[in-house]
Amino acid sequence: MLQTGDWAFVLSNADTLLSGLVITVGLTLSGLSLGFLLGFPAGAVEVYGNGPLQRVVSVAGVVLRGTPIVVILLVLFFIVSISQSAFVTATVGLGLRSAAYQSQIFRGALQSVDEGQLEAARSIGMGRFEAIRRVVVPQALRRSMPGFQNEFTIVLKDTSIAFAIGLAELLTQGYNLFTQSGRSTAVLEVFVVISAVYFVLTFVTNRGLDRLSDHYAIPSGENT
Amino acid sequence: MTLLSVEDVYQSYGEEQVLKGVSFEMEQGDVDVLMGPSGSGKSTMLRCINRLTDVDSGDIWLNDTHVTAPETDVNELRQNVGMVFQDFNLFAHLTALENITLGLKRVRGMDPEAARERAHEHLEQVGLSDQAGAYPAELSGGQKQRVGIARALAMEPKLLLFDEPTSALDPELVGDVVTVMQDLAAAGMTMLVVSHELGFARSAADDIHFLDEGRVVESGPPEQLFEQPEHDRTAAFLSGLESGER
Repeated sequence: MLQTGDWAFVLSNADTLLSGLVITVGLTLSGLSLGFLLGFPAGAVEVYGNGPLQRVVSVAGVVLRGTPIVVILLVLFFIVSISQSAFVTATVGLGLRSAAYQSQIFRGALQSVDEGQLEAARSIGMGRFEAIRRVVVPQALRRSMPGFQNEFTIVLKDTSIAFAIGLAELLTQGYNLFTQSGRSTAVLEVFVVISAVYFVLTFVTNRGLDRLSDHYAIPSGENT
Repeated sequence: MTLLSVEDVYQSYGEEQVLKGVSFEMEQGDVDVLMGPSGSGKSTMLRCINRLTDVDSGDIWLNDTHVTAPETDVNELRQNVGMVFQDFNLFAHLTALENITLGLKRVRGMDPEAARERAHEHLEQVGLSDQAGAYPAELSGGQKQRVGIARALAMEPKLLLFDEPTSALDPELVGDVVTVMQDLAAAGMTMLVVSHELGFARSAADDIHFLDEGRVVESGPPEQLFEQPEHDRTAAFLSGLESGER
């Protein structure tokens, strides 16, 4: 049961949770960014590409989406050993996996922009790359926002899997709190606090992204 | 002076033969209308002229540019051949003005101020000066199509192609677009128009080419095709259109 003493215990160890929070937020940002940098071009290659590059991208996506994130992290850290740093490894693992998901978000968004606009851009003498960049991409980015918001919450919560390679992010630090201090009565309080932190992060960020979407929304007026 | 020359053009989509030897010519300043039943190859013919579709065989010349030659730079060609689409195909994320300036800036390399100035001129030409800042979704169908025409005009093409420019419009909005097209024709623009808009054909066309099953069945000035068509097929089609209009 929730107890005043246990709340006080959580509060007095807030710095431990905070150090975990820093890693959680850092991993989310770095993983999402890497995911965007790789995932956006990958989505474009899947839509507009052809030949070997498209096949490679497509197969890599299938493999990454089909592998549990914990396996990806373990393989990268203990088998391939891409880096001594667990943080770097976790960033790469979460980033690659997120890229695989984000590529599908962008693929759908690019395909949803009607072909006629691309044709119209070509018809005034614009090159294919330029037409995609100036006409299709700006609209596709707007349409990918809901999927991206989804992806953000997934990456945020999946950062906890980084404990598998020894990274003390928020959830791990909470776990440490009651195991190492022996204060097992505080389990519920710790999880309530951690859940609240995840919730606030998700809520605030999503509202921020909603604002961003509204700001860049294309006016539709009364004629639809 | 001959501006456009289409010589024995064949085109197919997979097994389906769409154009089966189409030939015609247009002089500078001509306004020609392509008519014919759905599936007769009218739109495909237009798309071959700006290489949105490639021909199987035959030649198309625009002045001394060999349109159908593989080595022809399509981006350069398309700056000389404007196109207006049935579904407008405006860039949805850009205002009416920006729809026009995009090509001026990115293709013509004009500086932003000069591009805006020219875009304003062409919006005025199609009667939409007051809608420069409106997004496509805020415009009526007729207004969208007029922006589409202004976008094509701003590139200063030698030839303007219209692919059923009024068939996606509500009947009461057709008039505005037709008026703009008639003004252009009167101003000496060379136009090739796929349309069943009889009012436009009668008032503005120099020649009508009647297409059926991938061939030009009959060509001639509107009065000749409407009053004394040589082929039964032409007569049947045109009288069908006329009775539909009544």
